[in-house]
Amino acid sequence: MSKFDIEKVERLAGLKLKDDERERIKRDIDEIINYFDILKEVDTDGIDPLVYTKWTRLTLRNDEVHTGLTLEEIKKNRKLFGNNFFRVRRIIGE
Amino acid sequence: MMDITKLTAYETVKRIKSGEIGVKETLLSYLKKIEEREDLIKTFILIDRDRAIKKAEELDQLEHKEGLLFGLPVAIKDNINVYGYEATAGSKILKGYVSLYDASVVESIKRENGIILGKTNCDEFAMGSSTENSAFFPTRNPVNLEYVPGGSSGGSAACVAAEEVAIAIGSDTGGSIREPAAFCGVVGLKPTYGRVSRYGLIAFASSLDVIGPLSKDVRDAALMLNVIAGFDAHDETTVDIKVDDYLDILEGNIKGKKIGVIKEVMDFEVQKELKDALESSIQKLKGEGCEILEISIPYLKYALPSYYIIAPSEASSNLARFDGVRYGYESDGAYLREFYENTRTEGFGDEVKRRILIGTFALSEGYFEDYYLKASKVRRIIEMDFENAFEQVDALILPTTATTAFKLNEKKSPLEMYMTDIFTIPVNLAGLPAISVPAGTDKAGLPVGVQLVGKWFEEALLLRIAHHIEE
Repeated sequence: MSKFDIEKVERLAGLKLKDDERERIKRDIDEIINYFDILKEVDTDGIDPLVYTKWTRLTLRNDEVHTGLTLEEIKKNRKLFGNNFFRVRRIIGE
Repeated sequence: MMDITKLTAYETVKRIKSGEIGVKETLLSYLKKIEEREDLIKTFILIDRDRAIKKAEELDQLEHKEGLLFGLPVAIKDNINVYGYEATAGSKILKGYVSLYDASVVESIKRENGIILGKTNCDEFAMGSSTENSAFFPTRNPVNLEYVPGGSSGGSAACVAAEEVAIAIGSDTGGSIREPAAFCGVVGLKPTYGRVSRYGLIAFASSLDVIGPLSKDVRDAALMLNVIAGFDAHDETTVDIKVDDYLDILEGNIKGKKIGVIKEVMDFEVQKELKDALESSIQKLKGEGCEILEISIPYLKYALPSYYIIAPSEASSNLARFDGVRYGYESDGAYLREFYENTRTEGFGDEVKRRILIGTFALSEGYFEDYYLKASKVRRIIEMDFENAFEQVDALILPTTATTAFKLNEKKSPLEMYMTDIFTIPVNLAGLPAISVPAGTDKAGLPVGVQLVGKWFEEALLLRIAHHIEE
């Protein structure tokens, strides 16, 4: 049995595939996840994970005021815009 | 009469500045080429003739022709924001989204008086190796239209190869500049992680994404790196260390430089002509007085599975922002959750959905240690392999790809497509700079690429060596 529970992962990822699509995509992903198994050959005991290379430093920006986007600009990318807010679908009662 | 579109970017700027050719004249030559070829190759998602011509006319009026890119037509990959233009990243989910600001690289290009001609096609969210994953249309290889141009910066590679633009900008997460450059017969430079600002790049995998040029030759790559390299307060991963004048150092000799040939590369099946091209590049380097050493990157083959866990994991997080609320495609749904799911499922293509699902899985409870964490540890080992190698040599040489370009619809499974990136991915995991340089053609006439990898932030030497092996 595959460890990849696609319907559970869909829920986590905010996706909802159609049945035929789900079957096709699951087949591909099972093949890919099986391929990942070769990483088990690598002894990683005592190795620190690498996320950023050694050159990357987290720095703090100066505490200065910058102008961001204006409301007029933000509205350009959404037709349905409320009075100074993005409109979304119902949340309560689902 | 001289065909301006045959000139390199460097030559073009020089001749414009000397008054030999005009800015508008140059632009119109490229627009004519686009008219002749674009219907067949389809490299652009957006072309703005009017805005480009207006800018060219303005520049022609100027008394002082200033700027490193004065009057030069430049194309930008569609996952990079250009103010006032749609930025789709090749995805339906961003259809209709208009950029409200310039990416830092675009700002730099404009500051140096380059002219943005349009936005180039790419695999959706830069996920792919053939540009077939664009939600809009595939781009074709200008060398042979039956073949893919590579990807994900396929549009940027193809428009330079087709002489539709002087130079183009792409992005490289696992090979997306170098592989299409190799497939189309142009130069593709992936700078060191942290050398060029990604502010305004639509993020795919933030610990790997890099922006760089695709150009007609190495000198043009050096010219563009001069424009885009350096620290940017908008991107905290950029590193504040000295930026060289990359044009200035190009001509110097490379005598006594040590070049490593990676032993493990030959464990993979590599097309004969690519091995031959590598060998003749090695001979050239020897002729220039370089010392050639065999080098081992013992964990090379584990780079691919490591990458295909890390990159989708980061993508699953980065792409969570596309929910249909603030911009781009929006679907229906009575309730918010349903609306999110419908928007994302309809808006993303298959490959993007696959990667979001793989990444979500690799980060999920019960699997995080075995997948994401394991892959990140393997990544550390690969970086250490490269560190060891660079204690012995100044640069590494290997093929950019294992084969030349493949035909459209030829790759059958996603995993088969992933294998295309075996020689480019290790470089991204380690954050190193690398360049793909054209090195002849195979017997079908398709371009062959050779890849050089340099030390961290040593693009100057990398470009100089590349300049010596280019044809």
